[in-house]
Amino acid sequence: MDRRTVLKGLAGAGGLALTGGFAAPAIAQGAAARTLRFVPQANLANFDPIWGTQYVVRNAAAMVWDTLYGIDDQFVPQRQMVESEEVSSDGLTWTFKLRPGLKFHDGTPVLAKDVVASLTRWSARDPMGLMLKALQNELTAVDDKTFKWVLKQPYPKMLFALGKGNAPCAFIMPERIAQTDPFKQMTEYVGSGPFKFVKGEWVPGAKAVFEKFTDYVPRQEKPVWLAGGKQVLVDRVEWVIMPDPATAAAALQNGEVDWWENPITDLVPVLKGNKNIGVDIGDPLGNVGAFRINHLHAPFNNVKARQAILMAMSQEDYMRALVGDDNSLWKPLPGFFTPGTPLYTEAGGEILKGKRDLVAAKKLLEEAGYKGEPITCVVAQDQPITKAFGDVTADLLKKLGMNVDFVATDWGTVGARRAQKTPPAQGGWHMFHTWHAGADCINPAAYNALRANGDKAWFGWPTSEPVETEITNWFNAKSLDEEKAVAARINKAAIDDVVFAPTGFFLGYTAWRKNVSGVTKGPIPLFWGVSKTA
Amino acid sequence: MLAYALRRVLSTLPVMAIVALFVFSLLYIAPGDPAVVIAGDQASPADVERIRANLGLDQPFLVQFGSWVWRLLHFDLGTSIFTNLPVSAMIAQRIEPTLSLMMVTLVLTILIAVPLGVIAAWKAGTWIDRVIMAFAVFGFSVPVFVVGYILAYVFALKFDLLPVQGYTPLAQGFWPWLQNLILPAVALGCVYIALIARITRAAMLEVLQQDYIRTARAKGLGQGGILFIHALKNAAVPIVTVVGIGIALLIGGAVVTESVFAIPGLGRLTIDAILRRDYPVIQGIVLLFSFVYVLVNLLIDVTYTLVDPRIRY
Repeated sequence: MDRRTVLKGLAGAGGLALTGGFAAPAIAQGAAARTLRFVPQANLANFDPIWGTQYVVRNAAAMVWDTLYGIDDQFVPQRQMVESEEVSSDGLTWTFKLRPGLKFHDGTPVLAKDVVASLTRWSARDPMGLMLKALQNELTAVDDKTFKWVLKQPYPKMLFALGKGNAPCAFIMPERIAQTDPFKQMTEYVGSGPFKFVKGEWVPGAKAVFEKFTDYVPRQEKPVWLAGGKQVLVDRVEWVIMPDPATAAAALQNGEVDWWENPITDLVPVLKGNKNIGVDIGDPLGNVGAFRINHLHAPFNNVKARQAILMAMSQEDYMRALVGDDNSLWKPLPGFFTPGTPLYTEAGGEILKGKRDLVAAKKLLEEAGYKGEPITCVVAQDQPITKAFGDVTADLLKKLGMNVDFVATDWGTVGARRAQKTPPAQGGWHMFHTWHAGADCINPAAYNALRANGDKAWFGWPTSEPVETEITNWFNAKSLDEEKAVAARINKAAIDDVVFAPTGFFLGYTAWRKNVSGVTKGPIPLFWGVSKTA
Repeated sequence: MLAYALRRVLSTLPVMAIVALFVFSLLYIAPGDPAVVIAGDQASPADVERIRANLGLDQPFLVQFGSWVWRLLHFDLGTSIFTNLPVSAMIAQRIEPTLSLMMVTLVLTILIAVPLGVIAAWKAGTWIDRVIMAFAVFGFSVPVFVVGYILAYVFALKFDLLPVQGYTPLAQGFWPWLQNLILPAVALGCVYIALIARITRAAMLEVLQQDYIRTARAKGLGQGGILFIHALKNAAVPIVTVVGIGIALLIGGAVVTESVFAIPGLGRLTIDAILRRDYPVIQGIVLLFSFVYVLVNLLIDVTYTLVDPRIRY
């Protein structure tokens, strides 16, 4: 008998008198072992993966909704809901057949009309979907199990678009739900994925519950990332939202939760020191840090001022500010694509390598006509990543002799302010920090931050014709070798024109109790194949 | 008395109206945009605009305010921008943990602070008094989250006596409910205990100098009777006042405490809503807190008549 039992007994005697007995349901050992308690990276505040594109929504949605294809760890889309596909010789007509046995959580079969409605909603919001929509002649259900997509010109990246894990993913929903305006939030959460969402137990900001969908028929292939057989080995997954990392660490150590998606670096040594806890890199694709520059206003409307930043910045400083002395958590990134992925290249990245040259950088600033005007740095303090980056940037800009106007604020304000194109003195900005999931940076498909099409580009509105031309070439590339060659040209052009300044590549840990097995590395937390013992 | 209470309740209406206008205006001019948060990092400016239009956030101030007031008049606090759930339902989901935390803290505080204050006054100038007052200074000085982390480390991690985090509804049993609240209540109550102990001591010191206390002693009444029956009752008005004011402290402290102990209460809902700029939720919660505060003040005024028969309304 341990201390807690004694205390429970003593206090329980009083409680018994007050309540007339313990009303708490007794949870059998087996039942507890079949419930996986997971601390996600953020609060699941909404649950429409097309309307809201936050990573946390995408991660939860991948449990509930299935996709036609799923990418594996080689970034190759593999069949998931689809049994077969056929493309006409001119590359214009794609015909897809659904595999048998697919069922929604409400018991109705998944039909081609559901897929058509889902793809229609998705293609109104997703960058690749929008491209497909622009090329579309028709998207129709041929019969209950077959649908057809007819295009005006070939689109070689079709299967990648349908299977990519970048938000918004092409999740398949019942037609009645998918007919919701893509800019309005749906209210029903019915999918055909391996888990059912228990809406009645959802407390946004506190808890989200997913139950095993017993009618789910997994594929027979081995599960790899979003591809293969999604075998569910627990009855229930509870997402427990914990905004405070110290609390999450304590709860994991105490066995109150089973798996913490992203422990902060500072607390990892404590977790590693606990024999009951396993710690490893969570997402091998990591993140790309970004020093986002506003190309519209002086001095950064001059490429020389932007190049001065690249010439002076030390990626090691940024990375150490974030991850400390743990060298396994970061890599220098003289480019834009995710290290370790097929398109990774350092072409044109010499300016980010070697000894930093403050003198030459100052000279470039002078040539750009910089004369001490305030440089407005909008830095979110409530995000550990941007906070760390911001401190390094303030120091860097001061070393370059720049007059730093450091606006310390929260992420919500950064989100609104970065959309302002007005001059920095009138509510605009010169720079802000952010980061991009490495999964979004494996190729140009979902890499909005790399686009350089001026007004239509991501915040900072860079313009670079070479970058845009090469991105178009990538979409039309027909082989990996061709893609690699194009990626090298994109990288060089993006560095020459300084679309943004990469601050380095960094990874994060994930941690779990050792009675949990099957936790694998992936671009999102993968719950299939995960089991738990008492 | 009933007429007075009714008058006071009615007088809350203009207060609430001013609070409503103030909160709405403040949120309208505050930087930040929920549409940006909803759309995510990959969204284009056009997507953000369309979401904003769908949420009605592109409407002029007066239109937005008018429609919000119209809904309020129909007892509708609106719908959360993010969760698409009614604000009233979200508040209902979260009110039990917060009320429980406040109630346990209040009980704990009164049980600890009042006797401490009384003893400090009784033993004024002695080491006992000094120890109690040193504790009060400590309680004032150490932030809630520091106390919270220390308590969690010692009582949950080190000795495995209580859980680190979470909340169990009372419906699932008294002990499961209480065990989740003990550490947060102690952490949250520290400042409150310090405050009430000091006020109790000061009020008691004044009362203990009165002639009737000397008379009570002269007629041979025991120390306990003098302190807790004669003196404490007469010192109760300032103590009750501070207990009431302390409700505001508790509301503020609950925001931090609920985050540290991962309690799904109104405090955390407030923080989440503010960070995401979920305007309807922020407005609903602020209105609720204002109403509670006005109500608590009314209850304090009524309590005065119970502890001091000379007070009449």
